[in-house]
Amino acid sequence: MNYLLHILIMINIYIPLALSLNLLVGYTGLLSMCHAAFYGIGAYTTTLLMVNLKVPFFPALFAGILFSSLLSLLIAYPSLRLRGDYFVLASLGFQIIVFSILYNWVSLTRGPYGIPGIPKPSLFGFEIDSLPFFFLFSLFFAGITFLAFRSLYSSPFGLVLKCIRDDELATIAMGKNTTFFKIWAFVIASGFAAISGALYATYVTYIDPTSFTLDESIFILTLVMVGGAGNLKGPLSGVVFLIILPEVLRFLGLPDTVAPNVRQMIYGGLIIYLMRKRPQGLLGEYRWR
Amino acid sequence: MIFFQFLANGISYGSLVALVAVGFSVIYRTTKIFHIVHGVIYTIASYFLYSLFVSLHLPLLLSLPLALGGGILTGYLVERFIYVPLVRREASGGIYFLSSLGVYIFLVNLIALIYGNEVKILSSGIEPTVNIGGVILTRIQIFQIFVSLLLFLLFFLFLNRTSWGKLIRAYADDPVLLETRGVNPYKVRAFVFCTGSFFASVASVLSSLDVGMDPHVGIGAFLHGAVATIIGGVEKVEGAVLGGYLLGILQSLVIWKTSARWAEAVTFGLLILFLLFKPEGLLGERRRVEE
Amino acid sequence: MEVNGAILEIENLKRHFGGVRAVDGVNLTLSRGRITALVGPNGAGKTTLFNLVSGFLTPDDGKIVYRGERIDKKPPWFIARLGIGRIFQDVRIFHNLTVLENVLSVVKDNPLEKPWNLLRARKYREFGKEILERAERWIEFVGLADKKDEIAENLSYGQQKLVAIARLLMGEFDLFLLDEPTAGVHPKMIKKVLDMIVKLKEEGKTIFVIEHNMNVVLEISDWVYFMNEGRIVSFGTPDDVLGDKTIRAIYLGV
Repeated sequence: MNYLLHILIMINIYIPLALSLNLLVGYTGLLSMCHAAFYGIGAYTTTLLMVNLKVPFFPALFAGILFSSLLSLLIAYPSLRLRGDYFVLASLGFQIIVFSILYNWVSLTRGPYGIPGIPKPSLFGFEIDSLPFFFLFSLFFAGITFLAFRSLYSSPFGLVLKCIRDDELATIAMGKNTTFFKIWAFVIASGFAAISGALYATYVTYIDPTSFTLDESIFILTLVMVGGAGNLKGPLSGVVFLIILPEVLRFLGLPDTVAPNVRQMIYGGLIIYLMRKRPQGLLGEYRWR
Repeated sequence: MIFFQFLANGISYGSLVALVAVGFSVIYRTTKIFHIVHGVIYTIASYFLYSLFVSLHLPLLLSLPLALGGGILTGYLVERFIYVPLVRREASGGIYFLSSLGVYIFLVNLIALIYGNEVKILSSGIEPTVNIGGVILTRIQIFQIFVSLLLFLLFFLFLNRTSWGKLIRAYADDPVLLETRGVNPYKVRAFVFCTGSFFASVASVLSSLDVGMDPHVGIGAFLHGAVATIIGGVEKVEGAVLGGYLLGILQSLVIWKTSARWAEAVTFGLLILFLLFKPEGLLGERRRVEE
Repeated sequence: MEVNGAILEIENLKRHFGGVRAVDGVNLTLSRGRITALVGPNGAGKTTLFNLVSGFLTPDDGKIVYRGERIDKKPPWFIARLGIGRIFQDVRIFHNLTVLENVLSVVKDNPLEKPWNLLRARKYREFGKEILERAERWIEFVGLADKKDEIAENLSYGQQKLVAIARLLMGEFDLFLLDEPTAGVHPKMIKKVLDMIVKLKEEGKTIFVIEHNMNVVLEISDWVYFMNEGRIVSFGTPDDVLGDKTIRAIYLGV
């Protein structure tokens, strides 16, 4: 039972990450390779406030969202000026810079030593310290994220993002200030990634920079690619599929020594296959062309 | 004095970056593909070498060219079986990149599965060093510098003096025009991928002979190569070479002045500045980007 | 404030690329409510002129005045919001969206395009219904009512051009810049496209059209500007301009 709850909690933690990256990749057409950076900024901001300044969870979370959104402007700006490959390269650079700061600014983040002893979140004095309660807690956040993106995706705002994805020039010619839309896409996406960060930090009660590397950004992108981009069920199915897959492999007797590599090979193979034969992923709507 | 030591280390590392950059640059210029697999070519050649030299005990003189051949073959196979089908579909840049990423992930982990995730070395024992006026370099490092400079010179001559080389350059500038003249694009692409993979493979074995190999460093080497290409200028191969050496020296100096920690951040900070303000690179020409 | 019914005035407009003077001192006036054609050989600078008017290029010199307001240094989205709409040479509609979504996306000043307004979505439900009705009306106007939920990519080229026209109608633009609207369209569809353009004029819109098909020019335009090598060489009624022997000589390269 505990094992099942753990899986469900991880799914809840990854839902905001996948749905928010989908806003950038599947809706706006911005292939952002730095989502783990915002995941990490959210985690670290929340953690540092809770551990060092004894700030309660909700204000710390709020600060994490705010800080992450603010920092996203640093990569939003290049997205306005750089086309395709160059933007991807810039986002890779941003990811590496953020990781480097988290890893090397030891006086602030304790670098590779990580930050242990992150307190459990408390709600009106009630501490969330058991697995079932944390499941409900994370489910709450996954739920509001789901509702938020359901609204965003189907809104006129979401429609303009899809227009930008298809043809930015034509979107501008319609009278839309695409700068406004792209910046808001980043601000919203990074804010929700920060929520995942705060949840992760308070769940595992220990964080270090190795959870927020380029590999993690690639993993989040894989979630969206495999599940499918451009709608709600795509990324959700990606999260469920890719969180459950390792467990299935373990169940089938795959030894733990080779499991990570085999897993990654499956991810890589899936991406190659899907890009060739089924670009819309499992349940997505947008077919990469 | 210490400065010269760091400078020498920088040039030596810069040789490797320049090799990767030249490979990346020639592929990117010609096909416009953001070929992340280049990073795993940088890895795989070393592992071929390991199998041939260490596992099968073949002599180095035989293992080296075979290992290079393995790297070239891998690059060619990716082009032939992954990218070419996409060309027929007139796919967008995003699909190439994602497919490339998929192949990268797959191959890196295949290597790790077969050979293990840890660092491997080709030979034990201390590598002999040479003292040049107070600066100490290993034999391999000197070898790196000489081999890469030689290869760059040869490649430069090839591109500018041979007809095939001029064809490659012309094709990169205007593929449509050349296709109407009867040039087979697939032959050009195949050649370019083989050449690019050759350079990455050379860098790979030079690096592993020095410090050993690790399945996961590929993407870092690739990114350094890409950054070097942007900084030096993507339009000409000389740009990749210049960028490579500059990057190697820059990293070395940053390590000297601030410690190894900030080398990556500085490198990629510089990348973003160049992308935003001087995307044509140091050797490129300022082009107006019309909407 | 328009003078003499002119909706757009271009004064001594210049733009060069490298050594080429694509637009070399163009003076031009568009009368409101009329269809004005811009003709000339390839490379004359017509599309460049369109790019300058719609803001995708900035001029090196000269003025562009739209309804009394100078627009030559404004960004393209701002100019579009002022009421200048454009159809590109290569249609440029949104291929992965349905016809209905294509038309709905054009709505000006849609409050639900600002993400914070989604928190009060209920307030805008009436607005949503109204724009849906309007969109469906324009889709019907161009004759695509049965295709409104079809993905735009699946339509024929001519049908896609009709979608582009429906979008311009939805966007409440007043000045339409049409870049070769009949190019690549099946002969049977051309009549439909032309009917649309004439209907637009009847709605009070001003049309500025680049065309190579002289029959089209003769049939629908009120005025014609002939452009060559970046300059306006002739202006007048279609019969005047196209009947002129020297113009024909330039155009046919004789």
